[in-house]
Amino acid sequence: MTLGLVLHLVVWHAYHGAEESAFEHATLAFETANPGVSVELVAVPFGAYSYKLEAAIPHGNGPDLFVGKSNGLQEWIDRGLIDAIDAEVDPSQFVSGTLPPLIHHQRLYGVPLAFKSVALFYRRDRITKPPRTTDELVAIAEREHAADRCGLAYEAASLSYHAAWLHGFGGRILDDNNQPALDSAEAARSIEFVRMLANRHLIAEEATGQLVTDLFNRGECAMAISGPWFLSDIEADVRFGVASLPIVSSTGKPAAPLSEIEALMLPARSKTHAAALNFALFLSGKDAARLRALEGRQTVATAATWQLDEIKNDPVLTAFYDQFKLAVPMSQSRALQASWEPGQRALRRVLRGDVDAKRALAGAQAEIVATLRPAPPPAAKLPFAISLFALGLALLWWRQRAQPEVAFRSQPVAYVYLAPAAVAMGVLVFVPFVVGAAMSLFDYDGVHATFVGWGNFGNILRARDTSLFSPLSFYFALLVTALWTVANVALHVAIGVALALLLRSPLLRLRGVYRALLIVPWAVPNYITALIWKGLFHKQFGAINALLKVCHLEPISWFAHFWTAFAANLATNVWLGFPFMMVVTLGALSRIPRELEEAAALDGASAWMRLRHIVLPLIRPALLPAVLIGAVWTFNMFNVVFLVSGGEPDGSTDILVSQAYRWAFQRGHQYGYAAAYAVLIFLLLVAQTAFGRRMSQKQAT
Amino acid sequence: MPLRLCESARSMATVTLDGVGKDHGKAQILGSLSFEIADGELLVLVGPSGCGKSTLLRCIAGLDELSRGRILVDGRDVTQAAPRDRDLAMVFQNYALYPHLTVRENLAFGLKMRKMPAAEIAQRVNDVALLLGLETLLERTPQKLSGGQCQRVAIGRALVRTPKAFLFDEPLSNLDAALRTQMRVELKRLHQRLGATMIYVTHDQVEAMTLADRIAVLRQGVLQQLGTPTELYERPNNLFVARFLGTPEINVVDGKELMQKQFMATLPDRAVKVGIRPESIHFVADGKPARVDLLEQLGWESLVHLDCDGVRLVARVSANAPTVGATVGFKIDDRALHYFDRDEKRL
Ligand SMILES: Nc1ncnc2c1ncn2[C@@H]1O[C@H](COP(=O)(O)OP(=O)(O)O)[C@@H](O)[C@H]1O
Ligand SMILES: [Mg+2]
Repeated sequence: MTLGLVLHLVVWHAYHGAEESAFEHATLAFETANPGVSVELVAVPFGAYSYKLEAAIPHGNGPDLFVGKSNGLQEWIDRGLIDAIDAEVDPSQFVSGTLPPLIHHQRLYGVPLAFKSVALFYRRDRITKPPRTTDELVAIAEREHAADRCGLAYEAASLSYHAAWLHGFGGRILDDNNQPALDSAEAARSIEFVRMLANRHLIAEEATGQLVTDLFNRGECAMAISGPWFLSDIEADVRFGVASLPIVSSTGKPAAPLSEIEALMLPARSKTHAAALNFALFLSGKDAARLRALEGRQTVATAATWQLDEIKNDPVLTAFYDQFKLAVPMSQSRALQASWEPGQRALRRVLRGDVDAKRALAGAQAEIVATLRPAPPPAAKLPFAISLFALGLALLWWRQRAQPEVAFRSQPVAYVYLAPAAVAMGVLVFVPFVVGAAMSLFDYDGVHATFVGWGNFGNILRARDTSLFSPLSFYFALLVTALWTVANVALHVAIGVALALLLRSPLLRLRGVYRALLIVPWAVPNYITALIWKGLFHKQFGAINALLKVCHLEPISWFAHFWTAFAANLATNVWLGFPFMMVVTLGALSRIPRELEEAAALDGASAWMRLRHIVLPLIRPALLPAVLIGAVWTFNMFNVVFLVSGGEPDGSTDILVSQAYRWAFQRGHQYGYAAAYAVLIFLLLVAQTAFGRRMSQKQAT
Repeated sequence: MPLRLCESARSMATVTLDGVGKDHGKAQILGSLSFEIADGELLVLVGPSGCGKSTLLRCIAGLDELSRGRILVDGRDVTQAAPRDRDLAMVFQNYALYPHLTVRENLAFGLKMRKMPAAEIAQRVNDVALLLGLETLLERTPQKLSGGQCQRVAIGRALVRTPKAFLFDEPLSNLDAALRTQMRVELKRLHQRLGATMIYVTHDQVEAMTLADRIAVLRQGVLQQLGTPTELYERPNNLFVARFLGTPEINVVDGKELMQKQFMATLPDRAVKVGIRPESIHFVADGKPARVDLLEQLGWESLVHLDCDGVRLVARVSANAPTVGATVGFKIDDRALHYFDRDEKRL
């Protein structure tokens, strides 16, 4: 570095709490030692981490260096997001087992900082000796189990936690060729084991990370399974110990958790590789590692650190160190990424008692295979061009039948007036639409695109990857979407009209107040409403189950069954949607002269007959377009489905748009496939609207 | 004339108001009205806009609730009855046809609601259509009808039901002048044919005079006078009624001024105002001289505005109108004079 010229490095990480401050202090030490370099640490929220990286790096907006995890490696390399490290690294410098997960085709892709795997936490006030076998674990849990307490709490439905049992029973997620291998008898036995724990109420029900923390801190569970990140969540007055997970009694094998390596990685095509690498090596060096271990409570990958007395004598860190030696490194492959969601679904189904372990695993296996399905074969361009041409001709013929706008042609100046709007429409609507439609003809993962013609559509419409009745199939989602749309619009109209009629009643006082209140659900942003309703339907803490309890009814696990989850979504969207219909109806009602109803009253019509024969037919013309629009909105009501049920159970309440989203962003970046979904949704909506318009035109004549 | 309608129209009734009053909040809209509409009578309710005519009609129909008093139809107290239980039919000012139904369906609506057999409904609708000349319009919707046709349909809708009485609320006021005159005649003829009890509201005194069996004049919710058109015209109870009926309006002159200017020799006791109908002023060569101020020629008659010593009068003459600016002699028919006291009451 030349004098006065300061090199600026941007480093992304997802740390918080003690880990973050230790990271900051180590960085300060680096800056002191290297006056020519300034380092800016950017904490990116964990949930958005990989998404932000994937969005920023290809456009050159990424960091100079980032903390990444070994299990995302293959995908990042495939998509050209990271570069290998060219410097010589001495393997003896690192804890053994921390480098291989970072090596791909004999090249190293990261400087390891820390290893992470889960282990067994136990409260010392309850347990003196941690269990060494599962039989001991069950015995302790039986002893500790009481009405308001359970023996063990962990995220039992998460495959990444369950993997420890899976390995202990002799199963695995992927085989040696990185192909999904979930449907084994060993895997089934591991799930049966967990189901036994659940049936005997030895583990906490529907546990989330937050729940595990709360139970452990309050002493409502004696043991928890979690990783080093759990350390900062444990309250200061809780005396606890950490031990390796027990040996599975029936196999004699240890329950081996998955492990992953946190490493500093270099974004592709960055121009600051040398300086960034320098920083990475400093952070993995002895001094910085000591700081991270002591202050940040990190299980660091630096071998020398573990020779220090202060670390050697730390029972917690050494317990994690011992567990790591038994752990199974996470595969770098995409197949593992694709396994989380289906695996979790299978676990949940078994724990709920919906199906037996074998069938659930077979389903999960099929789903993983479907997600990893090979792309449609590259298509020849000529036959495709011919079919597209034919389609174009058909469309042209269709247009021909429509009346040309004569007035438009005789007034060319009209085009000038329309130009600004046309340009805006073009940029905001037409271009994205064409790009999206074009994408549906490719197999595209965000980096590489292969032309596949109608291949994506073929795969979707032939439901080739999944059974027709699987929630992943297009037709299943279509059926759910149709049901969703019809049920919603019917309730929107019924409730909206009923309330509008009530508001019109001359007997009602404070009408303006009610009207304003009833419009509120519409005025609140719908994702906020959706989150509130999701909370209301929560099994343990939701107001709705609390209400059921007050009425001496069984609380319902709303998102465990299709119909209850669908009902929860429906309730939320009805809440969001009725005000629109109410406002439209109020407008239509205000245009009905009072005399019409009076005339009908004199004609002998009762209130009900006046409603049926006079009022309803007269608000119908106004309601029809509203119903059309409402149907389109509901058909595409992503927010409610995604936020309230999130597709639960098993993706069965997902509608077409939320399915399309999952194919694009949650099932391995199948953008082309998702785009084909979007095009199909578009065509369905065009058909639906055309049908509706024909209906209302028929009405008008 | 279809027989059925005539026959069924016999089931008519009297309508009796007994101390009927209506308030809106603190404002009194109708005072306390008591009178009876006889069986088969066409009573015209007349008064200036806002005097409460529609309110009264709506109260009779049952669309508004009474604040005081009782209403009887055919001797039965219907004060608390719902509109549909009163068996009355109303024709609204703006027709109030059901816009989504064809003329045929509009006509049939009331019958359907009363669960009449389909065959009879069809029969009655056809009869009424024939009576009102609506045969060719039966399949149209109201948007495709002219104002006069709409009015006919509205009347037809009331007729098919053969109710105990008909209520009309300014049914002709939305029509142009020529059509109004024509419809007025048709209505009169209809009433003569059916002999039905009808209450007819209008603010137009010509309509009132030409249609009515009896007229009730209303002013700010208070009944001023009830009687035949002739009675009201010839013996108005007060100055308001005198002024309201007759075109051109009656000449009203201060009694003292008339004495001073020697139009007449004597004035009855307490007479403050004198009303002189325009047709009771005659031109005679030896009469009192007056200057012709203005002339309104209507063809078959002329209205002559006179200025006699500062007293302005309008005279109605049938022929030989004088020229403007000329001086003419006139005389007032003594027997046709109306005298009113300080409270504008007739003496
Ligand atoms: N709902 C109401 N509230 C208050 N005042 C009313 C209401 N309806 C009518 N009025 C008043 O009652 C009076 C009589 O109205 P209306 O019967 O319609 O008169 P008309 O038909 O003779 O022109 C009017 O002064 C009107 O302002
Ligand atoms: Mg009126």
